[in-house]
Amino acid sequence: MNHSPSENKSEVSRRSFFQLTLGWLASTFAVAASAAGAVRFLVPNVLYEPSLRFKAGKPDDYPDGSVTFMEAERVFLVRQGNTFRCLSAICTHLGCTVNRADHGYHCPCHGSVFDDQGAVKSGPAPRGLEWFQVTLSKDNRLLVDKNQRVAADKYLIL
Amino acid sequence: MPLPKRIWQWFTRTRVGRSIFRIGLPESNLERSQVMVSSFLLHVQPAKVNRHSLRASYSLGLGLILLYLFLILIVTGVLLMFYYVPSTEKAYDIMKDLQYVVSAGLVIRNMHRWAAHLMVLFVLLHMCRVFYTGAYKRPREFNWVIGVGLFLLTLGLSFTGYLLPWDQLAFWAITVGTNIAGYAPVIGPKLKYLLLGGNVVGQEALTRFYALHVIVLPTAALFMVAIHLWRVRKDGGLSRPDEPGDIVQQIELKQLPTNKTYGLMELARGTTPQVGKNPEDEVFAWPHLVFRELLLFLLVMAVVLFLAIFWNAPLEELANPIHPPNPAKAPWYFLGLQELVSYSAFWGGVVVPGLLVTALMLLPYMDRQRKGVGRWFARERAVANTIFSVCLVIAIALTVIGTLFRGPNWGWVVPWKQPPAITEGH
Repeated sequence: MNHSPSENKSEVSRRSFFQLTLGWLASTFAVAASAAGAVRFLVPNVLYEPSLRFKAGKPDDYPDGSVTFMEAERVFLVRQGNTFRCLSAICTHLGCTVNRADHGYHCPCHGSVFDDQGAVKSGPAPRGLEWFQVTLSKDNRLLVDKNQRVAADKYLIL
Repeated sequence: MPLPKRIWQWFTRTRVGRSIFRIGLPESNLERSQVMVSSFLLHVQPAKVNRHSLRASYSLGLGLILLYLFLILIVTGVLLMFYYVPSTEKAYDIMKDLQYVVSAGLVIRNMHRWAAHLMVLFVLLHMCRVFYTGAYKRPREFNWVIGVGLFLLTLGLSFTGYLLPWDQLAFWAITVGTNIAGYAPVIGPKLKYLLLGGNVVGQEALTRFYALHVIVLPTAALFMVAIHLWRVRKDGGLSRPDEPGDIVQQIELKQLPTNKTYGLMELARGTTPQVGKNPEDEVFAWPHLVFRELLLFLLVMAVVLFLAIFWNAPLEELANPIHPPNPAKAPWYFLGLQELVSYSAFWGGVVVPGLLVTALMLLPYMDRQRKGVGRWFARERAVANTIFSVCLVIAIALTVIGTLFRGPNWGWVVPWKQPPAITEGH
């Protein structure tokens, strides 16, 4: 590597410039882009899971004052008088399905206890159980949307 | 001379035999060295070993036991793969087939299960041995870090394998486990989504756990085991106390003059077993080491077979997302973690284990004391040993509490009293 003696040593030589850009930067980019592509590949675009919006039958299917557990959707449908609400049965702690107790709900996995309003009474659960929006569809069926979270005091009144 | 040996000797003297084995059964010290160096399987080990390294009371053979358990897991795991299908519709039925229909299916699945449990146990014991003998100190710091990595891989392998039977035990242990991952700051929810391939434990999660369990994690573990063993050799064999006449001072590669060429032998590090050691301390690996290794393998096989024949691996009812068993428990080695998680998912599930793993990884770099290497419970290491023991006792206590003293709704029970039957509240 004989450079001409007049060449300034502090300048970046053509060779080290290409080493930096074409060599190191391109290699880093190639590795990073491949890794990013692989990770993105692993993120599913379509989920074959039960729909988060579902019809829960006719309002009269649920007797007054009842709390009905719906297995497939893992929710409780709560009717008091002419009001309807839908409570998630998935514990906010670690995702177990909670059981209905005499007053409130119990999680069997780590012992969280929730009251009738889904609020935490004791145990490690960080938040109360989620309430979901309930509306009435055009054909007079209860329509639950698990994408829409609502406050515990929001009712569907018929 | 017994007949098998005569046949063997005749075979290794034929042209074909010699082309395969080069050295037959060694007759002289020269051949004892050559047989170790010329064989692919044996060359991983040195031709001569220090007497101290052969002492069972020092190493307890724990690393070797782990290697054998890993091999048993690979062989039984591959056999199970010939039947298993990672499908939520088929997996459970296939487990039943393995239990009742397939010849030896029950024993092979049991062996896989018990070897996996034993592997977690022996990783912990191995870690304790290395700690209490101060074997993680210079120059073995990085091998300790690789060991911590292998510990995590063992847990990962065990955890991913746990889902595959697709029974209640599997489904709820994985639901709880992946939700703990979801508590990790920033990346938690994304990590959980990526791991499950969705929001709930379903077909996608089973497919992913299967891929991780049968190819990704075993390959990673195999690779790291190879590095772990290679480094044991490069760092001078098993740790042992300094003896008079040892070259304690290490020759750093950078200290050598750079203006000459070197043979490979000259570049070897100063702590290899042969350098500066009394020849009396060394014995030939063939037969002293090889014989002990074979004996230990027989012992490990015998224990695993014994467990597999007399105790069946659990298989509960088909996975049911509606009804968690009460109490829903993770595998026993995660029950200390589950006990912590029952107080706080973030602190117990993320912070405490995160700090523990970080502390374990950094340990050899924080502990700079050079004394007390190669002896059990060295007096010079009283402080370090005490700290480690306290952590160990806490971890064991939490695990025992989670395993034996927690009943329905994760409430307190005493193991000698049967908990009352739980009626479903739905």
